[in-house]
Amino acid sequence: MVKPDASAQPGGQRLSTRVYRLTQRHRHWFFIGPALVILLAVVIYPIVFSTGVSLFRVTFASTSRPFVGLQNFQRMLGNDDFLQSTYNTLFYVVFSVSGSFMLGFGAALLIRRISRGRDILRLVLIIPITMAPIVVGLMWNWMLDPLFGLINWFLGLLGIPGQTLLAQASTARLMVVLVDIWQWYPLVFLIIEAGMATLPRAPYESARLEGVSSWMIFRRITLPMLRPVILVALLLRTVDAFRTFDIVRVMTDGGPALTTETLSLYLYRTAFTFNKLSRAAAGSILMLLVIGLISAMMFRFLYKDIEVG
Amino acid sequence: MIVPARERIFAYAILIAMAVLVLIPVVAGSLTAFKPQIIWISSPPVWFFEPTLENFEFVLITRQNWLHLRNSLIISIGSVLIALVLGVPAAYGFARFRFRGSKGLMQWLISLRMIPPIVVGLPFYAMFLFLERATGLGLRDTHLGLILTYQTFLLPLVIWMMRGYFVELPAAMEESAMVEGYTRIGALWRVVLPVVWPGIVATALLNFIFAWNEFFLALILAGNNTSTLPMAAGTYIVRARVEWGNLFAVNLIIMMPVIVLTIILRRQLVKGLTFGILE
Repeated sequence: MVKPDASAQPGGQRLSTRVYRLTQRHRHWFFIGPALVILLAVVIYPIVFSTGVSLFRVTFASTSRPFVGLQNFQRMLGNDDFLQSTYNTLFYVVFSVSGSFMLGFGAALLIRRISRGRDILRLVLIIPITMAPIVVGLMWNWMLDPLFGLINWFLGLLGIPGQTLLAQASTARLMVVLVDIWQWYPLVFLIIEAGMATLPRAPYESARLEGVSSWMIFRRITLPMLRPVILVALLLRTVDAFRTFDIVRVMTDGGPALTTETLSLYLYRTAFTFNKLSRAAAGSILMLLVIGLISAMMFRFLYKDIEVG
Repeated sequence: MIVPARERIFAYAILIAMAVLVLIPVVAGSLTAFKPQIIWISSPPVWFFEPTLENFEFVLITRQNWLHLRNSLIISIGSVLIALVLGVPAAYGFARFRFRGSKGLMQWLISLRMIPPIVVGLPFYAMFLFLERATGLGLRDTHLGLILTYQTFLLPLVIWMMRGYFVELPAAMEESAMVEGYTRIGALWRVVLPVVWPGIVATALLNFIFAWNEFFLALILAGNNTSTLPMAAGTYIVRARVEWGNLFAVNLIIMMPVIVLTIILRRQLVKGLTFGILE
């Protein structure tokens, strides 16, 4: 709420009128203000705080906090584990986003070709999105268990000996990505399908009358009209894959030999296992910058297409 | 759309295969929750057995996970209520008033969806710790502390979802009520809210799912007094021996309300999951 400074107002109008006008002009703050204050306190202040912490050497144990400038950032960028976990995260993003996108898009195209049972199939397909990621991770731990997991039982039926899929570097990385895809391709499916449902029918009908092939209809009509929807799906998947923690934490906890350690996991460990709060803060600010850059670029594309706000 | 039979059969085959791949781990895992301990780890899996509730009894009472259930309920319901109290008026403000910077503010709200939880979780831990050392005022390991932290992802979502519902209503509704002598607040309370009520319920339930499933911030910030169900699930997986039956009992307790809510909410789901960007 805005409090007008009554004494500074020149005469002419009655004070109460002026106060009334001011509150009328700023009445939106009455509605928006409280939420905004809380958001500043729970989002902006922590980020500012973290930036501050990253410039000092702060640990949970010691009370002395010398100023070290950008040293924490330098150390982070020169740290092999940080670079390794950045690489892992990018690997995770690329394969999880592209995998879930292709499966989700495919499912959305297919479900438009059927009518009976469509609702029940859709409902089954969206179950994974609504599950807690930690539950999904724990569940797949059980599926992949080398001794009594369903996957190995099935492989055994095919004559393949039991595999420790989560304990080998070569397969662990693939497994966590596959589980992430399993959980999130339904999100792409849901978004794309909702987008397709809003497409106008006229272009399709005239294209069909002119005998255009299905592939060309898809390329020239469906894809361009779905562009904003596709961008939203890609944006959400990218930021979610980028910050993955829960699934990896319970499935491999970053192992074996850091091959599945994502950035979130690495920063968590830096702060809470190795007690290097400042360095983790510096890393998290770097992470924020990267994700900010990626989403800013995707947003620019998006705003060309749709009106937001 | 007329679809050739060949194409339709192909679509059914793939979609049913996808549905089966979703259902196998979920159903097979959930069955384990009802198995007596001796057949938890039998391979090949036992599909037919006499179901028992002893695993649920064990986790809720012997392991005292009812405390975690209680914490999860307090934190989820509390954080959703606060997000609604702050977010619904804000959404109304954004829907009805154009002012300088309103568009930029809405975009800023979307950008909050992109922030990795570690970026806020880390400073929250340090802030709560330093606050306690400096003033003795404790937000660490309290329900209120977590409820506040959860506003980072709940509040922007509530504002975006509710704004969508308010925009759909004609502004003439409140205006005519205001002509009849209501104040704007009165009109909002008596005329608008009763109409958007279903939207508020949908928003609340969807946000409840997000708070209920949350793991990362709870892992960093919750302690003995506030540890939630997802954290309890993690305790059944210790390197040496995994208590699968107990683990899946907890998993099922986490999943049950969410599955019920999903069935109720399936139409609103897209709106919530895409943050209302698609409208």
